[in-house]
Amino acid sequence: MRRASLHSYWLMFIATVITVAIVTSSQLVTARISLLLDRQASELIAGDLLVESGRELSAEYAATARDYGLDVSRSVSLRSAVFIDDLPRLVELKAVDDAYPLRGRLERAADATAPREVTAQGPRPGEVWVDSRLATELGEQMMLGEAGFDVNWLLTFEPDRGGAIFNLAPRVLMHVDDLAATGLVVPGSRVRQRMMVAGDAVEVARFKAWLEVNLAPDEEIEDLENARPEMREALERTRMFFALSIVLTLVIAMVAIAITARYTARREAPKVAMLRAFGISQYQLLRYYLRQLGLLWLAATLAGIAVGWLTQFPLQWALDGWFGRDLPQVFDLRPYGIAALVGLLALAGFSLPHLLNATATPPMQVLRISVGRRSWWRGVAMSAAAVLTVFAVLMLLMQSSLLAVATLGLVLVCALLLPLVLGWLVRLLLASSRRRFWLRQYLLSRLQAGSRGAVYVMSGFSLVLIAILLIAVVKDELIGDWQAQLPEGIPNYFLVNIPGDRVVEAAAFLRDRGIETSAPYAITRARLSQINSADISTLSFTDPRSEHFATHTFNMTSASELPADNQILAGEWIDAASDRPQLSVEEGMAQRLELQLGDELTMTVGSQVLRAPVTSIRSVEWENFKPNFYLISNAALVADTPRFGLLSAVIGDGDRSALRELLGIYPSITLLDITELMARVRGIVDKASVALQFFFLFALASATIVLLAAIQTGRHEREIESSLLRALSAHTSQLYRVHVLEFTLMGALIGFFSASIATLAGWAISVYFFRIEFHPSLEVWLYSMVSACVVLTLAGTLVSRRVYNVSPMKILRS
Amino acid sequence: MNDSNLCIALDRVGKTVATPDGDLDILKSISLQVRFREAVVIKGASGSGKTTLLGLMAGLDSASSGEVRLLGENLDDKNEEQRSSVRAGRVGFVFQSFHLVQGANAIQNVMLPLELAGVEGAWQRARDSLEQVGLAAKLDTPVEHLSGGEQQRVAIARAFATEPEVLFADEPTGNLDAATGRQIADLMFHLRDRAGTTLVLVTHEAELAGRGDRQILIESGELVDGGA
Repeated sequence: MRRASLHSYWLMFIATVITVAIVTSSQLVTARISLLLDRQASELIAGDLLVESGRELSAEYAATARDYGLDVSRSVSLRSAVFIDDLPRLVELKAVDDAYPLRGRLERAADATAPREVTAQGPRPGEVWVDSRLATELGEQMMLGEAGFDVNWLLTFEPDRGGAIFNLAPRVLMHVDDLAATGLVVPGSRVRQRMMVAGDAVEVARFKAWLEVNLAPDEEIEDLENARPEMREALERTRMFFALSIVLTLVIAMVAIAITARYTARREAPKVAMLRAFGISQYQLLRYYLRQLGLLWLAATLAGIAVGWLTQFPLQWALDGWFGRDLPQVFDLRPYGIAALVGLLALAGFSLPHLLNATATPPMQVLRISVGRRSWWRGVAMSAAAVLTVFAVLMLLMQSSLLAVATLGLVLVCALLLPLVLGWLVRLLLASSRRRFWLRQYLLSRLQAGSRGAVYVMSGFSLVLIAILLIAVVKDELIGDWQAQLPEGIPNYFLVNIPGDRVVEAAAFLRDRGIETSAPYAITRARLSQINSADISTLSFTDPRSEHFATHTFNMTSASELPADNQILAGEWIDAASDRPQLSVEEGMAQRLELQLGDELTMTVGSQVLRAPVTSIRSVEWENFKPNFYLISNAALVADTPRFGLLSAVIGDGDRSALRELLGIYPSITLLDITELMARVRGIVDKASVALQFFFLFALASATIVLLAAIQTGRHEREIESSLLRALSAHTSQLYRVHVLEFTLMGALIGFFSASIATLAGWAISVYFFRIEFHPSLEVWLYSMVSACVVLTLAGTLVSRRVYNVSPMKILRS
Repeated sequence: MNDSNLCIALDRVGKTVATPDGDLDILKSISLQVRFREAVVIKGASGSGKTTLLGLMAGLDSASSGEVRLLGENLDDKNEEQRSSVRAGRVGFVFQSFHLVQGANAIQNVMLPLELAGVEGAWQRARDSLEQVGLAAKLDTPVEHLSGGEQQRVAIARAFATEPEVLFADEPTGNLDAATGRQIADLMFHLRDRAGTTLVLVTHEAELAGRGDRQILIESGELVDGGA
C-alpha cells in the first residue's frame, strides 16, 4: 500500500518541492536584493543613516554608534570662495575622513578625457579632488583659506551628492584633517557637520531609535526618504515588482499542489472504499494519510530548501555588477524556517480537505461508484480551505505588501469566475448545433463532462498562465514607462548658478550653437516659516519626510505655463496676468504638510518675507530628470528676490568647446553631469528583469507540474473513451484528431481568458500601484492563445500517447 | 470454415498473456462457430475467460494462436486498424457499465457510431433508434441524468442504430435490478428478432442465458460445452 501511495504522490511531492524552493529562494534572494537596494539607497547618503547639524556633533553619537557595532564616518561641508585666475569662485567644500564613503564608491579621473576609476577612499591629507568645472586647476596649487593643496584628481562621481540635483556649487573634496589648517571653520561659519553610520540593519534601527531620543533640536536625521526622488522611485518600483512576481510565482506553485492533491485524492478514493469495506476506520485511515503527508512534507522541505539555496548562485551571476557590486551575503535561518512553514501550510491547506474527503469515501463505493459523490458544501469547504491557505501564506510572507495581496485577490476572484464563464461558454456552444455530434459537439461534451473535471483543470492551468502573463505584462509596462521617461536625447547636463538676469541670454548662447536647452528657470531659495500664520516650529510632524519639508530650503521658481509632465490635481493654474500672490504646490509636499487650497504659506528668502495662498496642487514626474519644483509661484511674487538661473541641456561630445566658451563668459556656472545617474536608474529595472527570469523558471516548472497533473487526472477516462471509440470502429487518425483538437480547444479557451484577465489585472496594477500608463496589447492575446494551444497540445499529445494505442478490450475490462 | 452461413468461426484459438510468474493461458484451443441470426450465450465462472473470448470473437483483441473469422473476414493477419474497418457499421456492442459519453445527451450518444462510420442522416436514424427503445421523449437529456435502465436503453439504441449484423453484449443486465434487467433483455431480444441480428451474449444470469439459442460453457479457458 505504501509503495502504491508513494507512486501516486510523486507529482504532489514535486509541486511541494517547487513551492518550498520558491519560498527559500525568494526569501534568500529578496533579502539580499532588498539589502542591495537599501545599500544603493544608502549610497545616496554614503551610509545607512546620517545625522546632520550646523554645529559640532556630540562625540557621544559616534561612540554610541560604535557601541552598536556600526561603522562611523564624518564630513564637514561649507561654501567657500577660491581664487582662480585672481577671480573668486564659490565652491562647495567637503572635508571627509578616511572611512568615507561608508556606502558607495567615489569615481575619479586623471583629467577630463581620462577614463574614470572607482575608489573606495577619498582624498588623502594634502590632496584635493575637484569638480569637472574646476578641471583647469588639475595639477595646480589651490588655495583654500590659508592653506594650499595639490589638485590631484577630477571628482567624477560622488554617491551622496544628495538633495535636488541642480542645487550645488562646484565641489572640492579634501581630507578632514586638513580643514583646521585652512582656517575656514571659525565660530559663525555656515558649516554642515555630518556623521554617517553603516552596518547591520537591526543595529542601525536601534541606533536610530536611540538617536531620535537624544537628538538636539537643530540636528536632523536623514535616510532614504531624503534621497534623490528619481532614484527612490526606481528602487521602490523595483521592490514592488519583485513582491508582485514572487507572489504570482508562489500562486502558481500552490495551484500545482492543489491540482496534484486533488489528483492524488481521486486515485486514493477506490482504495479507501476498499479498506473501509474491510473494516478499517476513518480515524485509522486519517492517521495513515497524515503520516504519509508528514513524510512527504519532510522530504519535500529538505529537497526544496536545497534547490532554493542553490538558485542563489546563478542569480548572483545574473546580477553580477548590479550597481557595480556583488549581492551582499545574508546569514539568516529564517528563510529556511519560513519556507518549511509555507510548505506545511500549502500541503495541509490544499491536500488535507481532499484527503479528509477521501477518507470519508463510503465503503459502498466499492460496489457502486455513484455512491458518495461529493456534496456541494464539501466543494465549497475545500475551496474555502484553499483560499484561506493562500492568504495565510501571503500574510506570512508579505505582511506589508498591499500590492501582492490585492493582486492575489484579483486573480482569485477571476479564478473563481473562470469555471463559471468557461462552463457557460461550453454550454452555449453545445446548444448551438444539435444535428451533428462528431466532432465539434463531441469535443465540447468532453470539456463539459464533470467526471474529468476539465473545467477545473482548465481553471488551474489558466491561473498559472494569468500569473505568467501578468508578470510579463507589468514588466513590459514598467520598462516601457522608464524608456518613455528616459529617451535618448533628454538633457544630460544641468547648468546651475547662472546669474538670474542672464539665464535667457545663456540659453540663447547655447541654442545659437546648436545645443538644445530646456526653458530657462529663475530660482529663488526660500524657506518655509509659517503655515496659516502658525509658526512652522510650533507645528509637530511625526513623519520624517514632513519634517524635511518643514525645515529645508526649497528651490522655488516662477512660471506662467504649467511645466510639461506636471498635472493640476486641484485648484487653478497660475494666472500670469494677475499680480496677486499665487502658489502651486507639489502633491507630495501638500500631503505631508496637510496643505489645502487656500492655505497661506509664509516663506523667507534671506531677509525678505513672501506670503501666498496655495492656489493649486500639482503632480510631478520626479523620475523624468527634468527640472522639477515643489513650489511654483507667479512672477510677481518673487520679482524682487535674489535669484539664480537654471538650464538643462543635451550636451554631446562635440559641444564641449561651446560649453567652455559659455563658462568663460559666466564663470559662476556650475555644470552637473547626470549621465551616470540616468544610466544607474536605467540599470535598476533592466537588472531586476534579469533576476525575475529565475522566478520565471520556477513558474514554468510549476506550470509543467500543473499541466502533467491536469493531463494525468483525466488519463483514465481518456483511455476508457478511446477504448469505446475503438470498439465503435473509430480509426487511429480519428482518435488523434479528437485528442489534438481537445487540447487545442482547451488551449484556445485558456489562452483567451488568461490574456483577458491578465490584461485587466495588469491595467489595475499599472494604474493604481505603479502609477504608470497602461497600453493594452493584442499581442498578449496572440501569445497567450498560441502558447497555451502549442504547450497543451504538445504536452497533452505526448503524455497521452498511450491513449491512441489503447486496446478496445479495455472497455470490456473496465 | 468457409461456410457462408457462419457469422463467427474460431479454430483452435488460444490466448496467452505474460505475467510476472510466466505466461498464462487464458484461452486454450477453442473452436466454435456461430451462425447468422443465431443467439449464443457464453457462460462461465469469473476468470474463466469468457470476456476474453467475447473480445476475440468481436475482433477487439487478437488471438495468440488459431484462427478467428468474423463476418467472413480472417482477423489473424489484421492489425487493430484493419479489424476496426471490419467492425465498422457491422458490429454493435452493449456493455455492463453502459459506457456512454458523459456530457453528451442521449441522441448524441446514439449518433456517435453512425457518424464515425460516415453514415448520412445520423440524427434521424438515431432518433428512430431511440424511439424503438422508448426514449423518444429524452433525446436531449444528458445521459448522466438518466436512470441506469435508461442509460442501458441508450446503449442498446446505439448498438442497433448502425443495423449491425452481429451484436456483442457483455453482462448487459449486470448493473441493473432484476425487473429492469428483464425489461432490457426483452428489449434486446425483441430488436434482435426484428432485425435478424446475430447475438453473442456473456452473462451469469440463468434466466437470461436460457433465452439464447445455444449456450457455451467455458471453464479455465477451455470450451466445456456448446462449441458445435
